[in-house]
Amino acid sequence: MKIAVCIKQVPDITAPLHIQNGALVFDTNRMVLNAYDASAVEAALVLLENREGSIHLFLLGPDRAKETIRKALAMGAHEATHLLVPDDAALDAYLSASLLAEQLKQHTFDILLCGKQSQDTDAGLTGTMLAEHLALPYATNAVGLTLEDDLVVATRQGDAGQEIMALETPCLVTCSNDMNNPRIPSIKGIMQSKRKPVQTISVTPDATPSTQVMGYEPLPERTPGVQWEGEPLELARRLVHHLNDEARVLS
Amino acid sequence: MEDKFDCIIVGGGIAGLSAAMVCAQNNLRFLLVERGEFCGAKNVSGGVLWGTELARLVPDYWKAPDAGFERFIRHRRLTFMDEQSAFSLDFKSDHFDQPPYAGITVLRAKFDNWLASKVEAAIEASAFADESFLVPDVLVEELLLESGAVVGIRAGEETFYADCVILAEGVNNLLTRQIGLQPEYVPADYVAVGVKEVIRFDQKVLEDRFQLQDRSGLSNEFVGFASQGVEGGGFLYTNLDTVSVGLVLGMKDLREKGGPKPYDLLDTFKRHPAVADMLRGGESLEYAAHVVSTGDIRALPKEVYADGVLVTGEAAGLLLNSGKAIQGMDYAMHSGILAAEAVAAAKQDEDFSAASLKRYRDALDASYLMQDMRGFQDAVHLLHSPAMFQAVPNLFCDFGRQFFTIDNAPTRKASAMLKDSIRKHSSFLEMMKLGFKARKL
Amino acid sequence: MSKILTYLAVQDGKIKRASLEVLSHCRALAQEHGWTVESVLLHPDARSLATTAQQYGAETVYYMDHPQLQAHLNAPFLAALHAVITHANPHVVAFASSEAVKDMLGALAVRTQAAVLSDVASFHIIAGGVEAKRPVMASKLIARTQAQGARVLVSVRAGAYTAEEAPTEAALVPLPFTFDVDTLKQQVREVVQDALGTLDLSETQVVVAAGRGVKDEAGKALVTQLADTLGAAIGASRAVVESGLFPASAQVGQTGKVVSPDLYIAVGISGAIQHVAGMQNSRVIVAINKDGDAPIFNYATYGLVGDLYAVLPPLINEIKQVLPTTPE
Ligand SMILES: Cc1cc2nc3c(=O)[nH]c(=O)nc-3n(C[C@H](O)[C@H](O)[C@H](O)COP(=O)(O)OP(=O)(O)OC[C@H]3O[C@@H](n4cnc5c(N)ncnc54)[C@H](O)[C@@H]3O)c2cc1C
Ligand SMILES: Cc1cc2nc3c(=O)[nH]c(=O)nc-3n(C[C@H](O)[C@H](O)[C@H](O)COP(=O)(O)OP(=O)(O)OC[C@H]3O[C@@H](n4cnc5c(N)ncnc54)[C@H](O)[C@@H]3O)c2cc1C
Ligand SMILES: Nc1ncnc2c1ncn2[C@@H]1O[C@H](COP(=O)(O)O)[C@@H](O)[C@H]1O
Repeated sequence: MKIAVCIKQVPDITAPLHIQNGALVFDTNRMVLNAYDASAVEAALVLLENREGSIHLFLLGPDRAKETIRKALAMGAHEATHLLVPDDAALDAYLSASLLAEQLKQHTFDILLCGKQSQDTDAGLTGTMLAEHLALPYATNAVGLTLEDDLVVATRQGDAGQEIMALETPCLVTCSNDMNNPRIPSIKGIMQSKRKPVQTISVTPDATPSTQVMGYEPLPERTPGVQWEGEPLELARRLVHHLNDEARVLS
Repeated sequence: MEDKFDCIIVGGGIAGLSAAMVCAQNNLRFLLVERGEFCGAKNVSGGVLWGTELARLVPDYWKAPDAGFERFIRHRRLTFMDEQSAFSLDFKSDHFDQPPYAGITVLRAKFDNWLASKVEAAIEASAFADESFLVPDVLVEELLLESGAVVGIRAGEETFYADCVILAEGVNNLLTRQIGLQPEYVPADYVAVGVKEVIRFDQKVLEDRFQLQDRSGLSNEFVGFASQGVEGGGFLYTNLDTVSVGLVLGMKDLREKGGPKPYDLLDTFKRHPAVADMLRGGESLEYAAHVVSTGDIRALPKEVYADGVLVTGEAAGLLLNSGKAIQGMDYAMHSGILAAEAVAAAKQDEDFSAASLKRYRDALDASYLMQDMRGFQDAVHLLHSPAMFQAVPNLFCDFGRQFFTIDNAPTRKASAMLKDSIRKHSSFLEMMKLGFKARKL
Repeated sequence: MSKILTYLAVQDGKIKRASLEVLSHCRALAQEHGWTVESVLLHPDARSLATTAQQYGAETVYYMDHPQLQAHLNAPFLAALHAVITHANPHVVAFASSEAVKDMLGALAVRTQAAVLSDVASFHIIAGGVEAKRPVMASKLIARTQAQGARVLVSVRAGAYTAEEAPTEAALVPLPFTFDVDTLKQQVREVVQDALGTLDLSETQVVVAAGRGVKDEAGKALVTQLADTLGAAIGASRAVVESGLFPASAQVGQTGKVVSPDLYIAVGISGAIQHVAGMQNSRVIVAINKDGDAPIFNYATYGLVGDLYAVLPPLINEIKQVLPTTPE
């Protein structure tokens, strides 16, 4: 069984950040593996626990993103293709998906896994774009993934409940972080990761992206609230009084 | 044991990363293990990294666009404060304005992570590019011993072996204690607690307020009301667009004073008129607390080396808090470098016994670090005397108030004012004793 | 004349309120720019649902009422939307964001060669495209984003706009559904409906959300009682979903749903940014947490520092007393 996983490097959004001259600055300047993609890698590892197979990572990003490839290899993936773009390349989901698809067309796999969205932009587009480019049946927002004979069975979290889907291979599944808790690489894993094959291919986006960020704005200010301590009954009374008379949300 | 390393380093703080850099530069096969999610994740410093040694590890570090530091120190201030006033020694000099800068402010999460990336680059350039590793997110739980010598580490279910281990685990040095180099229990007299807040400003506002140019910065230490009667002092350092402000407080004294919360003391310190003026309009980003050594030589481990092991940085108690600065990071860096150099030499001789590793101890003794630590013990003790954080600052401020007040009354002689202030806040005898002690500094 | 097409999603036999919100906004945009606003309905009952679309101002309603369109499945819905877009040739297509829409949007953009902006908080039309505000970095800030092109798809977060009636005489245009079901390479085996009330999180004005502080069935019962008293939908943090006490469909946050009710009551939730990303636009936020330093208090309009097991019973009581008609 061959599993391809698309992984992306994203800024550590839990670090403090601010807007400087219209651009975003993260205090730690740290980049991480997109959490949803870590879940996709974990899902692939779990699928191969009692099965012959290999995991091939695909990442489109600047030179710095190789740390992220290393991290996913250290988790246990077998090899990687790094589509190297210049540090300042302008990309959006549409352009990234075309570049990734072009590369993926040259490989065979049974399952292609993606994260359901990027932690930084929350776009959630690339996965289904790839499915369309590659004409694959797909399921998004998977919280469960198993194999049954020749079928991939994905449980996707829909709007009102969970949809259990059976897909023929090859297929694409985008993973939610609610699917699993990704393993932390062991020291041995990290040691081995340095010897795993990483193919680097330079690509130059030949189009300007159709979507562009023009600038960042802080969120609208919230008026600071109040905080009360005290006896439960007293607290309850005070809250109800305020909800009713001040905020007028009880009716 | 085909996977045996030349050296394993425990801790990816300043000491560990500095040792790692030297290991990479000397083509040693090594493994560095850091328990934080990344290097710097949990590390806390004020902090100014004093000295110029960083330039040795990362030549021309200030030129890189991604440089991990904040500002270099061009303006220094030592402030004595009472409840309302601040009396400062203020020194600013273009002399400080040249690379390699002898003091830079850093924010550890960013700085350590940056230094780690430089170590990664050095590994890549070394002869063992695929055989040396920086591993974050793993806790070393135990040192492995064979006939009394340290031979490796255990982390979870994994064990790794090496010719020797460099301990760079910081002040909470459990592994140093495991092998008996330090008693299990360190008395509260020898530890302090540091609390620190990072406050953000618009960069332009910050630069105007503190008269900073380009990457120049200010370091300001405080004694007196800063610590509100508790032994210790305060600091304020400018970063690129933030200010680090905090207190270092003696643990024992804190307990004896009924355990006021360090955070409450910091809050009061921040509200002091002199400090509040500097912080106005800032947005508090994060708050952190961490144990710090006091630099008291009596708290040092029994020894900083043994068969197959070397102890560096704050794990070895190496820190000097002389009142005009805290030197923990440069000590960590210097000792990390010396330890790795000792390992490289031991590798030449293929001898990792205590006798061979003693060269680390010798190098430490010969360096500025141990000379200063020994030489400034009196300063350390002086700093811990109540006079220094109470009477002296009060006296200075009282004198300042008289000296700088101009009203429609006959002006008195400065010497008379000083006598007054001394009588009010102390005594001539006490001042003479202090002066006698200070004479040795 | 340029057109803006809105996709009207159907749930429980009704057009979703969030879709009507988007339609209302599109009608206003069309008015402003002299465009026409059209809608598309894909559902076996599409024809009768079209009256609602008229009520909210759609000038043309394209519809397909093939039985295959009863429940969501990406391939047939994609084919249907592709056909409608090809037929109507709109400049902008707007959706209310939902899991079903997320399941199609990227693929539809590629198939129709459209620029696409997902999960926007607001959008308007500019020369050559669309400009939108998108919350990014776990909703720590807003990115002002532009999409340029002959066709732009936009999905809009629930609660971004208000649905306002504006009755029109709409043309109803049936279109054939030509998707060949035999080509399907995926099937829905089963849909497991979550057993937690009937109220849709993103459609109610009051949400009571539980976090890890709710430790057991007794705690869950209190939360449920509070929600029932208020006629509220129940939300949850990831931690309490993981514990198995609450279903995944209740999860609010970056991974879960984004809600912006009038009143959001966070019970035993610490306020991690990934949770806050899903609820910070609520008008009034109440936090009940025994840890006075919990970050959730930074977002709360009213913060109660206390044990939820002690605070909820009197709170439910007090609310009952001021609510004249408590739904039982
Ligand atoms: C509030 C405050 C202000 C300060 N201000 C200054 C200042 O202005 N200037 C200055 O020079 N110094 C300052 N210091 C002191 C300085 O921070 C320390 O002396 C210095 O960080 C010591 O460096 P180190 O590398 O020895 O230890 P650390 O920086 O503490 O690093 C130790 C590392 O080891 C890791 N570790 C520990 N145990 C294990 C284990 N078992 N397995 C794996 N990893 C482990 C830790 O996670 C950590 O990353 C300040 C300290 C405080 C608290
Ligand atoms: C990529 C990613 C996506 C994520 N997406 C989401 C998401 O969509 N939604 C989400 O919620 N999380 C999400 N998370 C997880 C998030 O980071 C937090 O882990 C989670 O929100 C924590 O849930 P909690 O507040 O219930 O639990 P905790 O953080 O454990 O907080 C429990 C709180 O309950 C309080 N408490 C305990 N007992 C009581 C009591 N008796 N009375 C009152 N208070 C009490 C405690 O003081 C504490 O503050 C995501 C994380 C990642 C990495
Ligand atoms: N640059 C990239 N390289 C590899 N995979 C990517 C890249 N960008 C996005 N992806 C994949 O697409 C998913 C969704 O991304 P997005 O559309 O940006 O939210 C991610 O979780 C990845 O699996």
